[in-house]
Amino acid sequence: MLHHLLYIDPGSGSYLVQVLVAAVLGVAFFFRNIKNAVIAFFTRNRNKQDDNTKA
Amino acid sequence: MSNPIKRNPSSYRDPSGYIFEKDGVLFRQVNKCFKEDFEFFIQSGLYDSLVNQELLLPHQTIEECITGDENGYLTLLPERINFISYAWEWSFDMLKDAALLTLRLAKESIQYGLSLKDATPHNIQWHNGKLIFIDTLSFEKYNEATPWIAYRQFCESFLAPLLLMHYNKQTLNQLHLAWPDGIPLSVTAKLLPTKTKYSLHTYLHIHLHAKISKKTAGKSEREVRFSKNKFLNLIQSLELLIRRLKTPTIPTQWSAYYDEAINRNGYLEQKKKIITNWLSLNPQIKSAADIGANQGVFSLLLSEKKINTLAADFDPSCINNLYQQIKKQTLQFIQPIIFDLSNPSPAIGVQNNERESFTERLKVDLVMVLAILHHLAIGKNIPFAQLASYFSTIAPLLIIEFIPKEDEKVKLILSQKKDIFSNYSQTAFEKEFSFFFRQIEKQEIGTSGRTLYFMKRNEE
Repeated sequence: MLHHLLYIDPGSGSYLVQVLVAAVLGVAFFFRNIKNAVIAFFTRNRNKQDDNTKA
Repeated sequence: MSNPIKRNPSSYRDPSGYIFEKDGVLFRQVNKCFKEDFEFFIQSGLYDSLVNQELLLPHQTIEECITGDENGYLTLLPERINFISYAWEWSFDMLKDAALLTLRLAKESIQYGLSLKDATPHNIQWHNGKLIFIDTLSFEKYNEATPWIAYRQFCESFLAPLLLMHYNKQTLNQLHLAWPDGIPLSVTAKLLPTKTKYSLHTYLHIHLHAKISKKTAGKSEREVRFSKNKFLNLIQSLELLIRRLKTPTIPTQWSAYYDEAINRNGYLEQKKKIITNWLSLNPQIKSAADIGANQGVFSLLLSEKKINTLAADFDPSCINNLYQQIKKQTLQFIQPIIFDLSNPSPAIGVQNNERESFTERLKVDLVMVLAILHHLAIGKNIPFAQLASYFSTIAPLLIIEFIPKEDEKVKLILSQKKDIFSNYSQTAFEKEFSFFFRQIEKQEIGTSGRTLYFMKRNEE
């Protein structure tokens, strides 16, 4: 391991990755939304919520 | 004279305020440096909205700063949490719901112009039958120019363990103990199977994240613009991924226990009857720990009597099933917890007192030890004297079941190991326990050959 890295918060770099991730997601969700809109046109009752929180 | 204000040893990270104890009551101080954000949090309506939805622990505001600390601005009195638990004691679905709760809070905060600055399971606790967010000082004004400050923390402390449990084993929740601040992304990326690199969301949040963090470590982070829409996409992606994760469905050794036990000539019914009778004679019992609870049949019996019950078992599948049942039936008085009596969670963190050991936290009115004495004494070789001593530190009252050596279940254990247990007898059991407890009641469970004892700690 490089010595100078010992003085750095291992979390640094997470801002940059978010920018990249968000760019990829922007494209992915664009197509996903189109797909969902098509599915929704033919079916109903999607997106069930099943966590510990109220809807 | 000692200082009556005792600052909580785990509350040192965030300069916005801290938790302290005074006369046995827990308070939260808001510091002057966080005044503006806190007032905005209350006035924006986010606090009321979250409390009404039972997502955030409610508090009362005590105007004065009771610590006398010059940095203090306000004192809050949060509702009391019965038993503090940690992520290494939660089952898969508990951690999953805690993660979804965190994402939900991050999403709601944005709608009110705030941002969730912390995403750790330590900010979530069990309260009135569900997991709830407890850190009132985790909401700060949202700055649209910055990405989510808690993103890495979320990936390391929620997403990483959930993925590892999903792709490997449920027992990997124990990794939280090795890395209480989150499992490093580089470690997670190495431990996950290669196929996860081909799953879009896992690739982005774990593999790519690990790679880029490593490359850019040490370089100063430039101001980056990050729109609200991008922020919400990020949250949605994490949510999609986490909702898809499932408990590994391998039935464990204990998950079918009751199906078998119920067939033993009304054994369970008789046991229930005896315990119900003893409980009705002792209405002063308000809290209990059911050790070796399995899927919680007897914990449910206690909780029906409004006794706050900790259902503890070392089998993560049993605790996960119980959690699902509690969630489905919205049961209030029962808290599921993964606990191995032969290895209770240790005290960890700074000075070894940031997170208390299981035993330090466990103080109840009654401890119930049903049908596991043989596993502890024979399976784990723990002497009666040590067990009695341990139970006496937990509670003044004890309900315990003795299983004789002739029992088929004991024979089963002994068929796997050498019988070095010449001291395992009912007489020896009564004698060793008498140094710590005195018998109040003793009753045989039908024709099963097993005996139930109700005991009271000596000097009580």
